[in-house]
Amino acid sequence: MINRKKAGALLLVLSLTAGLTACGGSEKGTADQSTENAENGERGTVEISIGRQTTANPKFPEGDSYEDNAYIRMVEEELDVDISDAFEADSGDDYNRQVSLALSAGSLPDMMKVATKDELTELYENELIADLTDVYNNYASDYIKSIYDSFGGRALEDVTYDGKIMALPATSSDAGPGMFWVRSDWAEEMGLKVDEDGDRCVTLDEVKNIAQAFIDADLENTGNVVGMTFDSRMTTNTSDTPFMMNAIMYAMGAYPRHWYQNEENELTYGSVTDEMKEAVALIRDWYEEGIVDPQVGTRTWDDITALVTKGQCGIIFGSWHTPDWLLNNVYALDNEAEFEPYVLVDENGKVNCTHYKATGEYLVVSAEFEYPEIAIEILNLIYDDMVNSDELLEKYPEVNTYLNTGVDGTARPFNMEVKSNTYLLDEYAQLKAALEGTGKKEDISTAEERSNYDAIMAYREGNEDVTGWCKIHSRCKGVDLLTYLVDKDLYNWISPIYPETTTTMETNWSNLQTLEVESLIKIITGASDVDTGFEEFRTAWYDQGGEMILKEIEEQIAE
Amino acid sequence: MLDTKSKSAKIRNLVIYCIVIFLGLICLLPLVNILAISMSGSAAVTANKVGLTPVDFTMTAYRRILEDQQFWRSFGISVVRVVLTLVLNLVLIIPLAYVMTRSKREFRARNIYMNLLIFAMLFNGGMIPTYIVVKELHLLNTIWALILPGAVPVFSVILLMNFFYGVPKALEEAAIVDGASQLQVLIKIMVPCAKPAIATVSLFSIVGSWNDFLGGLIYMQKVKDYPIMTYIQSLSIDLQELVNSSMNSAALENIAELSNKNLNAAKIVVAVIPLLLIYPFLQRYLISGIVMGSVKE
Repeated sequence: MINRKKAGALLLVLSLTAGLTACGGSEKGTADQSTENAENGERGTVEISIGRQTTANPKFPEGDSYEDNAYIRMVEEELDVDISDAFEADSGDDYNRQVSLALSAGSLPDMMKVATKDELTELYENELIADLTDVYNNYASDYIKSIYDSFGGRALEDVTYDGKIMALPATSSDAGPGMFWVRSDWAEEMGLKVDEDGDRCVTLDEVKNIAQAFIDADLENTGNVVGMTFDSRMTTNTSDTPFMMNAIMYAMGAYPRHWYQNEENELTYGSVTDEMKEAVALIRDWYEEGIVDPQVGTRTWDDITALVTKGQCGIIFGSWHTPDWLLNNVYALDNEAEFEPYVLVDENGKVNCTHYKATGEYLVVSAEFEYPEIAIEILNLIYDDMVNSDELLEKYPEVNTYLNTGVDGTARPFNMEVKSNTYLLDEYAQLKAALEGTGKKEDISTAEERSNYDAIMAYREGNEDVTGWCKIHSRCKGVDLLTYLVDKDLYNWISPIYPETTTTMETNWSNLQTLEVESLIKIITGASDVDTGFEEFRTAWYDQGGEMILKEIEEQIAE
Repeated sequence: MLDTKSKSAKIRNLVIYCIVIFLGLICLLPLVNILAISMSGSAAVTANKVGLTPVDFTMTAYRRILEDQQFWRSFGISVVRVVLTLVLNLVLIIPLAYVMTRSKREFRARNIYMNLLIFAMLFNGGMIPTYIVVKELHLLNTIWALILPGAVPVFSVILLMNFFYGVPKALEEAAIVDGASQLQVLIKIMVPCAKPAIATVSLFSIVGSWNDFLGGLIYMQKVKDYPIMTYIQSLSIDLQELVNSSMNSAALENIAELSNKNLNAAKIVVAVIPLLLIYPFLQRYLISGIVMGSVKE
C-alpha cells in the first residue's frame, strides 16, 4: 500500500530532521520579542506560513490565487495575520512529498495538514508539533466544539496523545451504505417493478432478477449488456465507494477490509470470515450465470464509467453523491436517463453499514509557532462564523460569491471538513422543506444547498440542465433515502476499529492485500474452487502476517 | 543491395515495409487518438466512443485553453527554461568535451576528471539530499532550480567527446601550425565540424527540459511557478484514488468536472506542438550525429 511507503519515507526523513532542526533553531531569534508583545495583549500582524493542498480545478475568479483570494483576504483582515504558502501541491502523493521534503530540510511550515495518523504520530514523537489542548479549550467556539462532540469522542480521541490534543482533525461524517442505483427509465419501459413493496429496500434475489431482466432486454441495443460490474479491487474499507462489492457483502453480514469486534467480542478481519466466504460464493454463482460482468477483475474505472454511459450497464453500486460526478455523464449523453437508488437489506430486513473513521486528515501547528491559538481562530472563522453569521458574509461579499460559485475549498487557509456527524441529513431537511414549500430558501443554512435549491427548481421548470438533474438524484433521491433509513430505523451499524499501522503491517500489509484481491478474483472467476480456494486464502492470510497483525492491533486497543 | 526485381526480394521488401509501417502506426495512433479526443464532446469521450476521428466535433477544449492563464504562464516558464538550459548546457559541455579529448600529455588530470564524470553519471545524490542542496542555495521557487541541477549532462559530454575524437587530427595540427590558440581551434575548427553532434545534444537538452515534470513538482512550491509539463501532470487525475481519499462531494464534483479528458487531451496537444516544430529541423542531424559520434578512430 502507498501509505506504507509514505510512512517509511517519513521515518527516514524524520531521522534526518532531528539533526537539522537543531541547526535551524537560530532562525527564530525574534521569538522573544514577539512573546513580549503577546503579553501586552498586542501581537501585531503575525506572519503565517502554511503548507497548502491544492486541486487541479480551484475555479478561482480571474486574478485570484491560492495566496491571494477572498478567504485569505478575509482571514488576514479579521485576525490581523499575513498568510503565505510555504509550499503548494496537489492533494495526495505530490503534497505528501512536499511535506516529507519540508521535514527533511528542517523547515516545517507554521501550519499544515498531514494525511495520515502515522505521520501525526511521528511528528508528535519527534516533538515537532504544538500541544493544542489549552488553545482548543480556551479559543474554540461552542459550535466547533459541538461539531467534534457530535462524533461522541471518536474525533478528538483520535488526535489525543498522552492526554494532549496534538492536531485538529478533519471530520468524516458517515455517508451511509453503498446504494444500488438502477436505471429507472429502463425499468419503467420494461414494466419492471424494482421494488414491489415500495419500501426502497431490495433483497439480493431482487437485485439479481433486475440485472437479469436488463441483460435480456438490452434496451439501448448495445448487444452486450453487463448485469453489474466491479472495480478490480473488489472491496474497500469504506462503506460507500462506487463500483465495489461491499454493499452485497454487507447484506450477507460480511465486512471486507474492516477490523471489528465480532459477536463473540473477538477482533476480526472482515475479509476472512465465514460470511465473507458465503458472499464470495454468491458472487461466483452470479458470475457463472452471467449476472456479473465476465470481465470482472480487469475493468478499470474508466472502463466501467464508459459502460454505464453507453447504456451497457444499468446497475451501479455507489454512494449518495455518485450522480453528481459520475452519473452526470449518462445524462449528458442520454437526456432520458433516470436513476433510482435502493439499499440492499440482509435477511432480517436491516441495512448493515460500517461507520466511517471519524477523522480524515489532521491540521498540525509547528512547535516553533508562537501563536497556536491562531489556528483555532481560523477554524472558528471559517467553519463557524462563515457558516452561521450572515453579518460576516455581508461584510465580505466576495466570500459569499465564492461560496455560491463553488470555488474549491482548497482556497481556504486550510481546507478540512468540519461538519457534524449528521450534517448531511440536517442540510437536506432544510432543502426538502424549501422545495416542498414548507420552508424558505433563506432558511437553508449553507450556500451549497441554496445553489442546489436553485438548480433543482430550474430543472423542474424544464431547463434540462445537468446540474439540476444531478442534484435531484443526489439530494432528493440519494440523501432522501439516507433520511428514510434513519426515520424507519433500518440501520444496523457496525463500528469498525481503524488501527494505526503496526510493525507487521509495515512489512506485510501490501502482500496481504494483493493476496486478498488475487484470491477473490480467482474464486469469483472460477479459477479456484470456493471451499478449498477460500480456505487456502484464509490459511495463507493468517500465516503471512495476519495473525501477528491481529495480535498487534489487540495490544493497541488494550493501550 | 537487394535485387528489387526478383520475386522473393519483392516479398521480402513487402514484409519489411509492413513491419515498419506497423511499428510506425503504433507510435502514431495514440497521438491521433489524443488529437481526436481533444476535438470531441466530453460525453462521447467518457463513453469511450472516440477512436481516430472526433465524435461530436467541437473546439471548446481549445477555446478553454486560450482562457487558461496558468497554462500560458507555465508555457512561458517552460520556454524560458528550455532556452536557458540549452545555452548553459552548450556553454558548459562543448569546452568540457574538448578538453576531455586532449591527450594525457596535454591534460594530465584527464583521467581523474573522466572518472568523476562517469561517477556522477552513474550515481546521483538522490532526491532528498539534492533538495536540501537546492534549498540551502536559496534556489527553491526560482527557475535556476530547474536548470542548474542538470547543467552538465554527462551523457551529452561523452557523445560530443566521441565526435571530437572523430575529427581528423591533421585539421587541428594545421590550425596550430598556422598559429591558432586552443580556443580558436575549438571555435573555428571543432564546433563547425561537430555541428551534427551539437544539434543532437541540443535536441536532447530541449526535449529533456521541456518534458521534465518531476523537477517542477519538487523544486517549485507554488502552482503558479510550475513549468508546463508539471502543470499538465497536476491536471491528470486518478478519480479512483481521489474517491478513496477523504474527499467531500463538492470537491469531487470540481475534480470530476475537470477529468474532462478532452480538455486534458487538448492541453497535451498544445504542449507537444513546440517539440513537433523543432524536430524536423534537428532530426537529420540527430541521426547522423549519433552514428558519427558512436565510432572513434
